[in-house]
Amino acid sequence: MRGRSEPAIRSVLLPPEPARRCDIPGSAISAEGLTRTFDELVAVSDLNLEVPTGSIVGLIGPSGSGKTTTIRMLIGSLEPSAGRLRVLGDDPARLKTRTRERIGYMPQGFARYADLTAAENVDFAASLYGLLLFRRRRRRRAVLELLDLWGVRNRRAGRLSGGMKRRLDLACALVHEPELLVLDEPTAGIDPILRRTVWDELHRLRDGGVTALVTTQYVTEAEECDVVALLSGGRLIGFAPPEELRRQALGGEILEVAARDVFDAATLDQLPFVRGTHQTGLREFQVVVDDAATATLNLVSAIEAVGGEVVSVGTFHPTFDDVFATLIKHDEEVRAAAPAGEPTPEPARALAAQPAPARALAAQPAPAQARPAEAEADPAAPEAAAAAEVPSAPDGPPQAPPDQPGAR
Amino acid sequence: MKALLRILALAGKEIVEVFRRPGAVLSLVLGPFLILAVFGFGYHGVRRELQAILVVAPTSGLPTTAEGYKTFETRGVTLVDVVQDRAAAEQRLRTDEIDLVIIAPSDPQASFKDGRHSELTVEINVSDPVQANYAGFLAETLAADVNAEIYRLGVAAGEGYVLKIAGEELANIPAEVIASPTRAVTINLAPSEPGIVAFYGPAALALVLQHMAVTLLALSIVRERTSGAMELFRVSPLRATELVIGKVLAFGLLGSFLAAVSMALLIGVLGVPMLSQPVTVAGVVALLLLASLGLGLLISAVSDSERQAVQLSLLALLASMFFSGFVLRIDEFERPVQIAAYALPVTHGISLLQDLLLRGAITHPWQVGALAVLAAVLLLSSWALLRRDLRPS
Repeated sequence: MRGRSEPAIRSVLLPPEPARRCDIPGSAISAEGLTRTFDELVAVSDLNLEVPTGSIVGLIGPSGSGKTTTIRMLIGSLEPSAGRLRVLGDDPARLKTRTRERIGYMPQGFARYADLTAAENVDFAASLYGLLLFRRRRRRRAVLELLDLWGVRNRRAGRLSGGMKRRLDLACALVHEPELLVLDEPTAGIDPILRRTVWDELHRLRDGGVTALVTTQYVTEAEECDVVALLSGGRLIGFAPPEELRRQALGGEILEVAARDVFDAATLDQLPFVRGTHQTGLREFQVVVDDAATATLNLVSAIEAVGGEVVSVGTFHPTFDDVFATLIKHDEEVRAAAPAGEPTPEPARALAAQPAPARALAAQPAPAQARPAEAEADPAAPEAAAAAEVPSAPDGPPQAPPDQPGAR
Repeated sequence: MKALLRILALAGKEIVEVFRRPGAVLSLVLGPFLILAVFGFGYHGVRRELQAILVVAPTSGLPTTAEGYKTFETRGVTLVDVVQDRAAAEQRLRTDEIDLVIIAPSDPQASFKDGRHSELTVEINVSDPVQANYAGFLAETLAADVNAEIYRLGVAAGEGYVLKIAGEELANIPAEVIASPTRAVTINLAPSEPGIVAFYGPAALALVLQHMAVTLLALSIVRERTSGAMELFRVSPLRATELVIGKVLAFGLLGSFLAAVSMALLIGVLGVPMLSQPVTVAGVVALLLLASLGLGLLISAVSDSERQAVQLSLLALLASMFFSGFVLRIDEFERPVQIAAYALPVTHGISLLQDLLLRGAITHPWQVGALAVLAAVLLLSSWALLRRDLRPS
């Protein structure tokens, strides 16, 4: 992961340190069995979530996965149908005024005033949060400059471009220096350079102790987050740092190997550090290992020991689009395989327990090469079925693996 | 062909959109219908009989008790009392307890002998020029009826004083006095007698102020709800009380500015008199604005779209035009409709502003209280609804 993310990762993986600005120890947001239904439709189902203080958590999922419903429950706009939710220690349905002052919210759509100028909009937002004149002026300038809106500060918001409007929304959410930022697609419609600026600013804020819960339609932006909560069909199907999610999707790490001559990857299946293999061509194959760094040398030696010669070996990094598609597809398979009426297994654990998705990832167009016909078979199917039988924790919500401190 | 397809698609889309909002359709169709139905059933169109007191001097030779006028009938006038004290009767006229004071001639016989008309003075106390004309017309009718009564009494007496006098000095009595011994003189006690424009000026101002306050405030809140700003408010520390006060303050100031400018134009350009202290007028305008803003808040709380808010605002305007006394007198409606009319801020606004500007005093002080109560009830109920709006759904 990126170097700049290290402090946040530490806050996720290690016992939480007291935050500089947030006095809630540990979690800025805590959800337990969070459920929201609209008549017959279950929009969010049994969501368990802990958002560590001072981290960026990405809420990612396909359209209709329950991201916005979750966000609206977090900000107190929607009341949960069931479950327990705490935001900065308060029930969002009855947030105290002081708690509200510590939250910055950016909705998905432009909700500012078209007839006010950019500066007036920011000023109004700052006033709602009680910023007095001098601080308000200072903060107004700071956020407008940060988001490259200072030059158009006197332009009416209705005449700003789509990207500028998004930035104005973000400026209004940031102006009162909140401790918790809830941002619904903050980078939608913003050009890549400004997206970079936005994420840099979020990282800077995070390093200062601010917690950010961010939804994004750009799955690749998951890498900008310290922890990713992956939603599908209203359920949380993954909650881990991005690299860990990638590992879950792959069933480990994948080494891509090219041999000089035809090589049968199945001969490596019995090696203790190998979790699975996948033939992608006559000479090319992928090997799933726990740790690519330590396994590479051992793998090359093992291939040479059976008469093979390695031309190249490298780590396979699928895109997050592929990772999420795989995780979601796998979750659907697990749910479909679960007997009717039986609780479906805790997703992250089930995913970690088997390497099946690696095959699906390997089948993605980018990394895959010509595959032999026999590789089309799906030997992971029984494993998926087995994974479906992994029971939930006996009491309470299912337990996450130890390296996923947020998911419970 | 493709153009037709596009036109039909557009038309279809509009119709579907309209029908997707059942509330809007309901208010669109039923609103005006209901108002017209209330108008149709509630308006009888018959002018209320004017309540009159007859003042008879003891020297007049006319009966001084109500018993003596049992057979007296004039269309449109009901004689409620016969008194001798003119000042007391005029006081009752000033307090709007009665509509007319009829002062009988002090010595009709002597006047007749002298060949002079006796004057039947009819006092009224109205600013409305239409009402003043009507009262004048009634006074003429009254005088004609009195003349007829005199002849009737004369004939009933056998020869009557007319005939008796005629034998002596008929030649000195002008023919028109013989034909019409009594003539009517109408006196309006109202401090000013404005023309049509001056009379309707304050009423139009009250109507404009209410409509402006209702429409602007209702649209402002509905727009915030549909744009998502209300969700931002929900997250922010803003309370419903602060939201209501902020909105009322903004549109109250705008309304006050509009009222001040309009008032200056009414007085300076249209010649509307200003007989009251400006501060009293300002107080009434403030109450009218508060109550109207409360109505606007209430409309915003029950509207789910700008379209519906506009429709409801227009219905409020329509109801105000019909029932507030702006065009038709409230007492020409059935009692239940009159009660409903008093639930409109503008009904009191029109009456109070006309009183203050044209008469210099408030005829019915209870209307100030009614306006204040309306403002309080509307603001509190809409505050409660907006509070619910700011809570999680």
